[in-house]
Amino acid sequence: MIHARPILVVEDSDEDYQSILDAAKHCAVLNGIARATSGDDCLRQLRALADTSQALPAMVLLDLNTPQSDGREALIQIKQDARLRAIPLVVLSGSANPRDLNFCYANGVNAYHVKPVNHALHLLVLQKVFNYWINSVVSPFEPIYLA
Amino acid sequence: MAVSRSTRKNDLSMSSLAPNNAPLPWADGPYSIKRHGLTLTNCASEPVQTPGCIQAHGALLVLRLANLTILQASENTMQYLGEKPDNLLGQSISKVVGASGVVRLREMLQPGHPESSTMYAFTLPAHSGIAALDVCVHTTDGVVVAEFEPTGRTGEPQDKDIFSLVKAAISRLQTAGSLRDFCQNVAREVRSMTGLDRVMVYRFHADQHGEVFAENKRDDLPAWLGLHYPESDIPQPTRDIFKRIWIRPLPNAAGHLVEIVPLANPDTGRPLNMTHCALRGASIMYTEYLANMGVAASLTMPIVVDGELWGLIACHHHQPTHFSYQVRSACELLAQVASLQLKSAEQNEQLSYRLQLDEVHQQLVRKAALEGDLMALSDSQPSLLDAMDAEGAALYHLDRWWCAGQTPTELQLDALAAWLDQRPEFDSNTRPVFVTDALTGLYPAGADIAGVASGVLAVRVSRLRKDLILWFRPETIQTVRWAGNPDDKPLVPGPHGQRLSPRGSFELFVQSVKQRSLPWSPMEVESALRLQQLIMEIVVTRAERLAQVNSDLTRSNEELDAFAYVASHDLKEPLRGIHRYAHLLLESSLAQDTENRKRVESLMHLTERMDSLLDSLLHFSRVGRTNLEFQPVDFNEVVAEALEMIGVRRADNSCTIDLPRPLPTVLCDRVRVREIFSNLLSNAIKYTLQMCPRIEIGYLAPQEQTGALSAKAGTEKRTIFYVRDDGIGIAPQHFDQVFRMFKRLHGRDEYGGGVGAGLTIVEKLVQRHGGRVWVDSNEGVGSTFFFTLPHCEESKP
Repeated sequence: MIHARPILVVEDSDEDYQSILDAAKHCAVLNGIARATSGDDCLRQLRALADTSQALPAMVLLDLNTPQSDGREALIQIKQDARLRAIPLVVLSGSANPRDLNFCYANGVNAYHVKPVNHALHLLVLQKVFNYWINSVVSPFEPIYLA
Repeated sequence: MAVSRSTRKNDLSMSSLAPNNAPLPWADGPYSIKRHGLTLTNCASEPVQTPGCIQAHGALLVLRLANLTILQASENTMQYLGEKPDNLLGQSISKVVGASGVVRLREMLQPGHPESSTMYAFTLPAHSGIAALDVCVHTTDGVVVAEFEPTGRTGEPQDKDIFSLVKAAISRLQTAGSLRDFCQNVAREVRSMTGLDRVMVYRFHADQHGEVFAENKRDDLPAWLGLHYPESDIPQPTRDIFKRIWIRPLPNAAGHLVEIVPLANPDTGRPLNMTHCALRGASIMYTEYLANMGVAASLTMPIVVDGELWGLIACHHHQPTHFSYQVRSACELLAQVASLQLKSAEQNEQLSYRLQLDEVHQQLVRKAALEGDLMALSDSQPSLLDAMDAEGAALYHLDRWWCAGQTPTELQLDALAAWLDQRPEFDSNTRPVFVTDALTGLYPAGADIAGVASGVLAVRVSRLRKDLILWFRPETIQTVRWAGNPDDKPLVPGPHGQRLSPRGSFELFVQSVKQRSLPWSPMEVESALRLQQLIMEIVVTRAERLAQVNSDLTRSNEELDAFAYVASHDLKEPLRGIHRYAHLLLESSLAQDTENRKRVESLMHLTERMDSLLDSLLHFSRVGRTNLEFQPVDFNEVVAEALEMIGVRRADNSCTIDLPRPLPTVLCDRVRVREIFSNLLSNAIKYTLQMCPRIEIGYLAPQEQTGALSAKAGTEKRTIFYVRDDGIGIAPQHFDQVFRMFKRLHGRDEYGGGVGAGLTIVEKLVQRHGGRVWVDSNEGVGSTFFFTLPHCEESKP
């Protein structure tokens, strides 16, 4: 069996991270799941992979509000980095504020999802994300450089 | 005045050029008013200094200064000196005054004596039926002018001590406070000294027209105080003379004129300069004027301030009289003292006017600074009008006019302001002031407002916002009052008709000041500029404060955003965690116990409720901060969208949506207005017991609003929109509470539940549009929610 590329989850809340794992399991996601607990951590991991020409994650699930450099900063950096910008980047946020929404799409996010408080609904949202981005979408394997 | 003056000057030159007009009578050779006469058209160039005639109440001899030989004599010497002129001409003066008189004259006329200064020489005693004569002499152009006048004294020691009279009068002058009081005192003192019927202090205005400024008169005479006269009533040559002499007696205006023989000096061929002669013959125009007024004698003293003719002390008597040399000297002295003191009285008055102006202006500015706007300038006490000597004032501020006193209408003010805005004067940053006493000359459209605004003093406060302060003076004629009715006086006009009468003068004056106001003094202009400066200072201070408040507001808005973010993410994250664990508990063996299961379900329910409360709070905070986007919005569409949002179709049988008439199209924020309707409509559907609720959506145009409804809508009439239901209604004591955040009148799960934020958000949205929302309701019958949206305009179809 081919080892599918991992999914990088940027999430500081253990409960939310656990919900993600539950949803991935439910969707029979075969990819490994790596975790970063802050925007800085996420950038560090991604750049380490790029620097050593290793396979990039199949997708990044980004919580907008993480400690230190927050998710917003990580979003900007990823989408400005030619080696990283092709990675599908999906934001999961507690905020439905149009300002956050507009900010993310303006900076090239691939999708924005609101995390519901209701756990069942939360799981449903996460399952949809995995079914779509992992089980349906074809993602690029190599970095894409703009001509 | 400039216009009418030059017009008259042109008339004059035209008449002297016109071929059918006689040349001026003094054009070639010596002139005698008695012989050549005068007309109204040429009196402005009348040779008043060389009239060739004297008054008949005395005699005059002209002597060669070198040897005191008689060169010219008045034709009436027989009456006063006992010799005909023929017997005197070429003779020594000793023939008239005797050897001792000649000695006295030579003493007085030694080299170094003051030229043109009239000196009392001696009194010739009465002899052979000829009365005693006071002899006064002065020198001019190398001749000695000797004037002989009967003393008028009876010889008894009843003559008052003139010196102590003058001294007392002068000390009383100083008690006056204002300029007018001072002039009243002058008139009173002169009258008490002379005993004449009427004493007036006549004041020349900046445009040279005259006004009776103070008056003391016999009680039975009509008052002339406040009368105005045209500049031409006292022609320039006469004014020139009054700058050089201190007194002008005319004891018998109806008396004959007595010619000088010969008219020209035989040594020089020139006419006698009679400027300083007390006996100088009066202008025919003047005596006719006096006669028309019923005045028989006059005494005039100039008031000269800084070399300029400020005015005159004019005395009238209705009987011919006699002005003794002593009385004349006393009056002269009084006039000189008055002239000197008037300068300081005038300066005091100017100073106190200036102080008063500045004080009031500073009060205004302090008040304006305190209240934060300039309206205080016009609508409080004191106002702009209190200090300035003007009849009206207007302030343009906050895009509207604030008026005090008599001003043009707002439309006229708008036009005037637009015109002023283009004036070069307003380009100046340091002195943005426009001043005129004849607006129509510069601004023909001002003819409509000449009555209230012939005079305009304007200062620009802010070019950007077009803020302006204007003061208005009416056409002079509006401020002039007749003291008494001029028609009361019986008039027997002379050959020149009504013109030479106070009435004729007044009519000419009215013409000369048409569409003109009293001029603004430089001091008033400076004071207006100082006010402008003070206002600029508060404007700048306010701008700085506003900038500060703005930056504070921006900061607190940012803090609100940060708070909202905390609420949305950081509060929700633990909430999600709690819900997750509760969910897991529910799936665990613990939940097999029914009690436990219920408890965990409640926990999850509470968590969800907390979640929706947070959402409402967030939404509310956004409603207050996001900018409105105005566009024409068809309310019919908006209502349809709102119904769709809350899951109601008009065709549904579940409820009836009734629009009595189509709703208007209004300029507003589509999204917010839709939210207003969706909240009100969802409430109407929620709070009802009807199986098929009926909801009416409509509006009332301003003219359709009556009674309490109209009062609710506010002073400025706006369209009132309403949503009416036939639901459960609201008790009156709860009308205000329903708009309170998270306030619910019913149990949490009754009527479909909800957090109680809908109406709070509606109120906020309506307020964002500058409007009001209120409810009227009958319990059990239904509720009507009304709202206005003043910031929106109904767009024209």
